[in-house]
Amino acid sequence: MVGEELTEQETALYDRQIRVWGADAQRRLSKSHILVYGMKGTITEFCKNIVLAGVGSLTLVDDRAVTEEALSANFLMPPDENVCSGKTLAELCRDSLNEFNPMVRVSVEKGDLTSFGVEFFDKFDVVVISFCSLATKKLINERCRKLSKRVSFYTVDCRDCCGEIFVDLQKYNYAMKRLDETTECELQYPSFQEAISVPWRSLPRKVSKLYFAMRVIERFEEAEGRKPGEICIEDLPAVLKLKKEICEAQSLNESHIPNALLERLVTGTREFPPVCAIIGGILGQEVIKAISGKGDPLKNFFFFDSVDGKGIIEDISDPTPKG
Amino acid sequence: MGVSCGKQGKLTITDDDVIEKSNLSRQFLFRDWNIGQAKSTVAASAAALINPHLRIEALQNRVGSQTENVFDDTFWENLTAVVNALDNVNARLYVDQRCLYFQKPLLESGTLGAKCNTQMVIPHLTENYGASRDPPEKQAPMCTVHSFPHNIDHCLTWARSEFEGLVEKTPAEVNAYLSNPVEYINAMNKAGDAQSRDTLEHVLECLEKEKCDTFQDCITWARLRFEDYFADRVKQLIFTFPEEASTSTGAPFWSAPKRFPHPLQFSVVDPSHLNFVMAASILRAETFGISVPEWVKHPKTMAEAVGKVIVPEFQPREDVKIETDEKATTLSSASVDDAAVINELIRKLEQCRKKLPPGFRMMPIQFEKDDDTNYHMDLIAGLANMRARNYSIPEVDKLKAKFIAGRIIPAIATSTAMATGLVCLELYKVLDGGHKVEDYRNTFANLALPLFSMAEPVPPKVIKHQDLSWTVWDRWILKNNPTLKELLQWLKYKGLDAYSISHGSCLLYNSMFPRHRDRMDRKVVDLVREVAKVELPAYRHHFDVVVACEDDEGNDVDIPPVSIYFS
Repeated sequence: MVGEELTEQETALYDRQIRVWGADAQRRLSKSHILVYGMKGTITEFCKNIVLAGVGSLTLVDDRAVTEEALSANFLMPPDENVCSGKTLAELCRDSLNEFNPMVRVSVEKGDLTSFGVEFFDKFDVVVISFCSLATKKLINERCRKLSKRVSFYTVDCRDCCGEIFVDLQKYNYAMKRLDETTECELQYPSFQEAISVPWRSLPRKVSKLYFAMRVIERFEEAEGRKPGEICIEDLPAVLKLKKEICEAQSLNESHIPNALLERLVTGTREFPPVCAIIGGILGQEVIKAISGKGDPLKNFFFFDSVDGKGIIEDISDPTPKG
Repeated sequence: MGVSCGKQGKLTITDDDVIEKSNLSRQFLFRDWNIGQAKSTVAASAAALINPHLRIEALQNRVGSQTENVFDDTFWENLTAVVNALDNVNARLYVDQRCLYFQKPLLESGTLGAKCNTQMVIPHLTENYGASRDPPEKQAPMCTVHSFPHNIDHCLTWARSEFEGLVEKTPAEVNAYLSNPVEYINAMNKAGDAQSRDTLEHVLECLEKEKCDTFQDCITWARLRFEDYFADRVKQLIFTFPEEASTSTGAPFWSAPKRFPHPLQFSVVDPSHLNFVMAASILRAETFGISVPEWVKHPKTMAEAVGKVIVPEFQPREDVKIETDEKATTLSSASVDDAAVINELIRKLEQCRKKLPPGFRMMPIQFEKDDDTNYHMDLIAGLANMRARNYSIPEVDKLKAKFIAGRIIPAIATSTAMATGLVCLELYKVLDGGHKVEDYRNTFANLALPLFSMAEPVPPKVIKHQDLSWTVWDRWILKNNPTLKELLQWLKYKGLDAYSISHGSCLLYNSMFPRHRDRMDRKVVDLVREVAKVELPAYRHHFDVVVACEDDEGNDVDIPPVSIYFS
């Protein structure tokens, strides 16, 4: 498969990016299959990026109907309501994405993602999910890990004007280039479950506060049986109470997680278009790197907050080797 | 985001380029069927589809000193902010100067492959874009490119330069001469230098010894070019500097990084030799308007035709001077009798011209890197690779050659999206107004590593005088059409003694000249019109003067430009 040449069309279209990552990487991209869940603003940006990059196929899962909120941050939605009627978010996005690059097969899979078995995930090289509950994140991640081939797993969540990316490449070997030298590297990624189980007090002091805040919100929504983002200002007292409990259990001073930050995440549940572009761009490049094997992948969390304008990489994994 | 979607909003976009296939991999407002159409108009339509409330105007002008009638004072004054999406430093510097002048925020960004950077330029708050410049790209010395290449980049630089000379510049010079012989000859005589001599020699060659009337002539020309570039010149070089030669200090001349070259022996059996001659003859034919026969594309028939060319034997000469000084910036070597040689060349040219059919012109070819059927890259790659072969430098394929010679910038959608998102975040702060410099962010990111580096912008440099202080953003403004005396008085109040005032390169007033005292009661605008002889266009309401001032102690003070409004 790797020996197949790029067509003349592909070489002309992808010329500028082949000069970045090479023809070999472009070939690998064209054979890759991506699964995406949760068609909101950030995922839309991500899909746009990988479709333009020329992946083999992209499968979208999102049976929800179009809402006004979707229109505000999703540039794939045609503003004409008549066109939208009767179609799901995934179907509308598919129609638009097909136009961006006819060489990519964009399709829709209907149904509840959590009900799909392990064999379903075997069809893909990369799985990206967004706005999922804690339980769903763990479940899908585990299904990916059960397969004998590596299925790269990513979660991405943008709330208010900040965003979080999680990466799980399992055991990942790649060639790291520094100046003229190339060294073979092996990275061991924890699963989502393993990562968030790392005791908070064993993490360095300067770890992004957003990490902790997102975990509190995650736990709250799960405990209350809410859908992700189904939270509002009235929940703030309960959220702060939960924060206190978790911090006590984790032996972490509760002032470590600013209340103002939690308040932002509780009230600002909509995505913010510029942040969608930033996170969608970064996530897009991470997936391209994982598929092509070129470039150093992110390990394993990325945070961005518009309020301080900083982009931070955190490695949240258990340093002790498992027996 | 809803920017420019209100009744009083307007987004003006401008780009003089048209859509190409390679744009589609990241410029997602365009589709396959838009190829060939203007980028700005298509982008505007596509954006309006995403948000029908957008009030957008699409123009197709470059932004530069040539379009100041389009982007005039009124245009700039009415802007809230400027967002750059440029692909070269010079355009960025121009826009930076305009934003400085009109005190407008500039949101600057750029990408290079997986790298991106954003820079906020906010009036009075941050330094301007031009305040810090990247060090200039290191260019190889002229003698390296011309005689002593040691890597493929040198060969490609040389190839690109030769290509442009052979198929574009010389034919253009020929046409300039033929369209206006008297003017052209006068200009050459006036210049009378080595460069003019070289140019005239090339023009004469085209019209006399090397003129092509048939396709076989073009093949002859191409075959002889091969011989000259890859055999004769090398033989001359190694005759002048043999392998065992030493420098004036006694060290070996051909020590690293210099590579000792070997002449190539032309063979019709070598496909790269044959392809070179084919590409060169096809393009030569194009410049002479000669049609290319079908059999050219077939190696056997081509080889036969090339075999017919008589190639004179070459004898290296003792008296040839080859530049070895790395600091030399010109190849043309001046000599005492340049003027006389030029006269003789002109005489011969005039004789040639009389023999030409009336209306004879050549057709200069402009390098078009993206058309795979035009043989441009074939010739450039051929030139570079044959030269590389001379110097035992590894050759490159056409794709790589196109990358280097075409100065193509690698680009991907992801870093572009990230840069755009970051700029949009800053745009909120600009439009909100009232933010401190610490609130803004400049970013550098490299998605390949990945690396994210964010910082506050740097404030501008402050200059102080008595109780006044100013930065590059400041402009001292005088309204109501002042006289020279009023201007000097105004500066005196600031504790400044103005001794010299100029507009552009013209002196309007200098305290040394007694005559200038007569100008005291004249309106400064009239001095600009009469003394500087400047015609101020109708859309202009003001002009600027540079004033040299001293303080009470006779020290020079560097003051901001003074803008004088006369209407």
